[in-house]
Amino acid sequence: MYDVVDFLLNTQLGLNSPDWVVMLISHLVVVGMLFAVAPLQVLFLTYYERRAIARMQDRVGPNRVGYEGLLQPVADGVKMFTKEDIVPDSADKIVHLLAPIVAAAPVLYMFAVLPWGPNMIAVDLPTGLLFFFAISSISTVGLLMAGWASNNKFALLGAMRAVAQVVSYEIPALLSLLFAVMFAGSMSLMAIVEAQGGLFISTTDVPSVPDLGLGWFVFTPVGFLAFVCFFIAALAEGERTPFDIPEADSEIVAGYMTEYSGMKFAMFYLAQYILNFLLCAITATIFFGGWQGPGVAWLVSQSLSADNPAGNPVYNVLAGMLGTFYLLAKTYMFFFVMVALRGAFPRLRIDQLMNFGWKFLIPLTMINILSAALWIAITRWGTAQGFGIIEFAGEPGNLVRWVIAFAVTLVINVAAYWFLARLNVQDHAARQAALTAGGLAVSPPRSA
Amino acid sequence: MDLVVQIMFGVTGLLILGAAFMVVSVRNIIHAALWLITCFFGIAMLYLLLQAEFLAIVQILLYIGAVAVLVLFAVMLTRQIDDPDEPVLFQRWRSTLLITAILFAAVLVPTIYNHNWLIFADPQPAFAGPRELGFAFMNAYLLPFQIAAVLLLAALVGAIIIAMEDQEQRRVRVLTLAEEVALRGEREPSPPTRPANPQPASSSSNPTPPPAPEQAGEGA
Amino acid sequence: MISAVPLEWVLILASGLFCVGLFGALSRRHAVSMLMGIELMLNAVNINLVAFWRYTQPDEVGGMIFALFVIVVAAAEAAVGLAMAIAIYRTWQTVNVDSVDSLRG
Repeated sequence: MYDVVDFLLNTQLGLNSPDWVVMLISHLVVVGMLFAVAPLQVLFLTYYERRAIARMQDRVGPNRVGYEGLLQPVADGVKMFTKEDIVPDSADKIVHLLAPIVAAAPVLYMFAVLPWGPNMIAVDLPTGLLFFFAISSISTVGLLMAGWASNNKFALLGAMRAVAQVVSYEIPALLSLLFAVMFAGSMSLMAIVEAQGGLFISTTDVPSVPDLGLGWFVFTPVGFLAFVCFFIAALAEGERTPFDIPEADSEIVAGYMTEYSGMKFAMFYLAQYILNFLLCAITATIFFGGWQGPGVAWLVSQSLSADNPAGNPVYNVLAGMLGTFYLLAKTYMFFFVMVALRGAFPRLRIDQLMNFGWKFLIPLTMINILSAALWIAITRWGTAQGFGIIEFAGEPGNLVRWVIAFAVTLVINVAAYWFLARLNVQDHAARQAALTAGGLAVSPPRSA
Repeated sequence: MDLVVQIMFGVTGLLILGAAFMVVSVRNIIHAALWLITCFFGIAMLYLLLQAEFLAIVQILLYIGAVAVLVLFAVMLTRQIDDPDEPVLFQRWRSTLLITAILFAAVLVPTIYNHNWLIFADPQPAFAGPRELGFAFMNAYLLPFQIAAVLLLAALVGAIIIAMEDQEQRRVRVLTLAEEVALRGEREPSPPTRPANPQPASSSSNPTPPPAPEQAGEGA
Repeated sequence: MISAVPLEWVLILASGLFCVGLFGALSRRHAVSMLMGIELMLNAVNINLVAFWRYTQPDEVGGMIFALFVIVVAAAEAAVGLAMAIAIYRTWQTVNVDSVDSLRG
């Protein structure tokens, strides 16, 4: 963006603007674009979800406003704007007002580090992945504020549930993403995407593989297990069914949103859908190559850049468009999985949720980190790091090492899954037996 | 350019100190916790000004995302119907204030100004990203790193053991609503056994919502 | 930052924060409030460590490492302290540290 603005201002218009003006304008343009994209995504996703879930429930879904109901979200937005804003009498007014802002603002920050295409990123932070999750953890504070300030039992219960759930599932989510940091050797999301070129085998492991942009991390046993764990944790963080316990409408009305109406409610709604979009996008970015796909690498090699001054700027645009298309296609695919899960699964109980997170997902992701370390050791280390035994000469050596790493990590991960699943099933059976044998319970035990 | 940085530093410093004052002086403890979050956020901004980007992100992730949320959670779990006449500070808070003010004005500030700090002459922007930190943790600081890991493990186990309730006890304590009402009716005329027990009063003008059913049964 | 803001300013900010935290930890009656005061003090120490790293030793990572260790210790302290607050509440139905005086002679 800097180059484009520089070209327009200084070369075309001959304004000779100083460096910082160009910098400021280019950043403002990017920020404006991202702020425009976020609500549009929400509009589209709500429509998409309602139509998709209607198909699963043998209905048609919204189809009245505009062509096939495409303007329905806009109509809903207008309705939200015109609603009366009700604040409960006994609410803590200031905190009640601030809560939706605190919940929604951090989610927009998360767009800053998301790579949309080759060189298309607002800020390429060297700690991008950590920033993404650090900033998202602020919105839990917003939920807690909403629940407490409403002075409503349902809202407070919903907020407590939401925070317990989000804080517990942040741990497996972050632990399962550690493997990508190890594979790419960087926390920058751009570097993680760039490490996923290749064809089934990543070019970072075996450099001679043709680069079709398909060397996604999900094709390794380590990446696959991490993907499954992360997606489950992402469902819990985004409060999607089957983990929509915080806003279980059949139990606690709407959870922390109970006392909100009008635009404040719309803010929570917006925050939630943007968060879901971003979680799907980050899944696509880390496990499914983000903007990587057949053709992008070739377009980038043809495009104009510092290394390739003879390139054609048309290819820059084409590469960006193709990359964005791949990213959005993958993202909507994952969002469809979320919708399908919502249509297919009932809600979990809170003790089931906690047991699953702490006793199954966290140990599994920790073993996955061990596998990831072994993968790195087998495919990349040589005599210098004390791993000379499995060093093979020449180019086929890399392939042999890749096969060995694949086999070893596959065995470890399958064994870990099998062992932990068995352990949890036995534990569950034992507790069930104790419960029926004891029979003293006044009401079924609940673990908060 | 210097002036811009100075203004930014001043705003950040005022934010940090103001939020900290509110933390220790505000009456409502939830508001205190929210001011604590503001203060942590200001400190993250200060780290960014000091070019410690990684630390700023860790500050947000750990302090705001974990510690502050934990604090809010604990405050809500230990709800007490607080009496507006009861002071939030100890009786001797004035002498404490005096002592801390003297510590600041008579000890810390003169020390800071009278010491000749060895400022690194080269104003090159420093960068200690995750890579450098990782190398340092795995080489020079390996032993402290492992000790910290053991400390965290010990704290985790300790926290669970301290906060854990006996499952058997708990099951007896969770009562149905009818039983709870009956129990309360029995208990109300006689004063609580322990002198420190506050009345399980349900009428209060305080914005803290009344205890959830699980907590309400605890007095049994 | 280095040329515009002298080290002393940062240190005074940190010491002010430390004193506020100390006052909070010593004079609030609520157990969780005391913990908040301690968190403020630990953060003040962290500001100091980062400032010294930036102004005196920017080519080494020692200051950052120490700050990270402080964060680790603070997290451990918060976890144990809040668990204790919950345990105290469960036993006495209060978190006022004044009222928890069963051992007074």
